[in-house]
Amino acid sequence: MSTNLEFSLPEAAQALPPVIDIRYGQVGLVHVRVRTTDPGVILDELTGRIAAAPHFFRRTAVCLDLSALDQVPEVAEIRAVIEAVRRAGMLSIGLAGDSATLDGVASVLNLPLLSGLRTAIRSVPVVQPPQAVPPSPVPATAVPAQAPEPTAADSSAPALIHTQPVRSGQRIYARHRDLIVTAGVGAGAEVMADGCLHVYGALRGRAMAGAHGELAARVFCQDFQAELVSIAGVFRVFETIPAELAGKPVQAWLTGDDLHFARIGG
Amino acid sequence: MAEIIVVTSGKGGVGKTTTSASLACGLAQRGKRVAVIDFDIGLRNLDLIMGCERRVVYDFVNVIQGDCTLRQALIKDKRIDTLCVLAASQTRDKDALSDAGVRRVLDELAADGFEYIICDSPAGIEKGAHLAMYFADRAVVVVNPEVSSVRDSDRILGLLASKTQRAERGNGAVKEHLLLTRYSPRRVASGEMMSVDDVREILGLDVVGVVPESPDVLSASNAGTPVILNGDSDVSGAYQDAVARLLGETVPMRFTQEPRKGFFARMFGG
Repeated sequence: MSTNLEFSLPEAAQALPPVIDIRYGQVGLVHVRVRTTDPGVILDELTGRIAAAPHFFRRTAVCLDLSALDQVPEVAEIRAVIEAVRRAGMLSIGLAGDSATLDGVASVLNLPLLSGLRTAIRSVPVVQPPQAVPPSPVPATAVPAQAPEPTAADSSAPALIHTQPVRSGQRIYARHRDLIVTAGVGAGAEVMADGCLHVYGALRGRAMAGAHGELAARVFCQDFQAELVSIAGVFRVFETIPAELAGKPVQAWLTGDDLHFARIGG
Repeated sequence: MAEIIVVTSGKGGVGKTTTSASLACGLAQRGKRVAVIDFDIGLRNLDLIMGCERRVVYDFVNVIQGDCTLRQALIKDKRIDTLCVLAASQTRDKDALSDAGVRRVLDELAADGFEYIICDSPAGIEKGAHLAMYFADRAVVVVNPEVSSVRDSDRILGLLASKTQRAERGNGAVKEHLLLTRYSPRRVASGEMMSVDDVREILGLDVVGVVPESPDVLSASNAGTPVILNGDSDVSGAYQDAVARLLGETVPMRFTQEPRKGFFARMFGG
C-alpha cells in the first residue's frame, strides 16, 4: 500500500525544470521492539528469527522501537543495539518510543524519531472487558463488510465507510473499527461497530457502538430519530424521541453505566 | 436492448398492478414496444385491470414449463398494438416460477424486440417478489403516504440494493424511483397524511410520480381499462407525467397541492 502526494511547487521554481521532486510516500516499515539493550541477546534472537526468512529481512529498513524498555537507554547502549541489528542484516533508519524522553538521544544519533505517539498508545496494556453484546444471529439480508476485516490488534484500521442508505432490515457491522455511514439509516435497520459510529444523515434505526465492550465508543449522528442506542451493551430505547433531541445533531456516550445524550454544536 | 422495470412495494394493496398497467400503456402509447408480466402467480389480477381476462389461454407458468411458446401466451392489447400482456397462472402457486425459467422468458422477450418489460411484482418479499425484481434494470417502488407502506418500501429498497442480479454482479445498481399513490393533498394539509417531502426525505429517493386518491381508479379497474387511458382523470395525467419522467423528460409535479382553482379550471387547465 502506498500513497503519493506531489507537492505543488511555487511559480518561480516552475520556470526551470526542477531537479528534485519532493513526494510524500508511505511504505510499510518493520518495527523491532526491544525489551533489553544487551546487544548479544538481541543479536542471538534476531539471527534465530531471521533464519526462517533470511531474504525477506536482508538489508530491510527497520524502526527500532524502544517503548518497551523500562528506562531511557544511554546513547552508547542504543548504538550497540543498532550495531547488533545491522549485524543481523537489517538497517535501523529511525527510533520509536516516547518522544519526550528520546528526543535528545535521537538527535545525538542523527536518527529521526518515528511514530512516537502511536507506539506509545499501543504499548499500553489492553484489558479486554467482558463481551457486552452477544452477536445476534445475522438476518438473511445482512450486508457483509466489503473490505477485509482487520484484527483486534490493528488499531490503525480505517473506519468502514458505507455510502448507501441503510434500509429497513439491513444490518451493517464494522468489526474492530469505526463505522461511518454517509447516508440515512432507516427505521428497522441496524448499524453496529466495535468502535465509534458516525451517521451523516438521519438515524432512524438502531445504533450500537462498542459492540464488543469498548466503553469509550460513542455514537454521532446528524439527525437523531433513533429507535435504540447502545454503547458497550448499555442501551436506551426511544419509544418517543425526546423533543429537544429529535431531528438534531446528537452524540451519545457512556459514563459508568449511564448513557448520555447531548446536542452537538450547541 | 430491452429495459426491465419492476413495479414493487412490499406492502399489498398500494396500487402495484394499477401502476404496472398504466405505465405499460403509457409507454406503449408513445410508440414503445412493451410487455407487461404478472408475477403474482395464483392471484392473477393484471389481466382484469388490462381487460383481457377472457383472452387468457396460456400463461407465464405454461411458458416456463414449456407447455406453449412465448408467442402463444402473449396477449396483444386491443387498444394499443405495441403492448402485450403475459398473464399469471391462477391455478398454480409461486413455486412454479424458476430462476432459469424467468430468465429465459425475459431473454426471449428482449430478443423479440420488446423495448420495455414491466414486471408486476406480488406483495411481500417471498419468491415471486424476488424473481420479479431479480433481473430488473429499474424499479418503480409504489408507496402510499403512510408509515407502514413507507417502512415496507424501505425494506424493498434494501433488497433491490442487495438481492438483484445487478447488485450481485456489481454492474451498476438498479435505478430506483418512488411513485406515490392514493395521495390526498387535502389530508396532507390537515396533517392526517405524510407529504411527498416526508416520504422523499425518509426514503432518500426522488419521486417519479404522485398519483392522487381518486374514485376513477376503482371504476377503471372494474371496466378493465387501465386508468391512464381515462383522459378526463387527474390520475391519468399523473401517470402520463410519471411515464414522461421515466423517459427522462422534466415535467413539473402536479396534483400535490390542494386545488385553488375551480373544478373546471383544474379539469381543463392542467
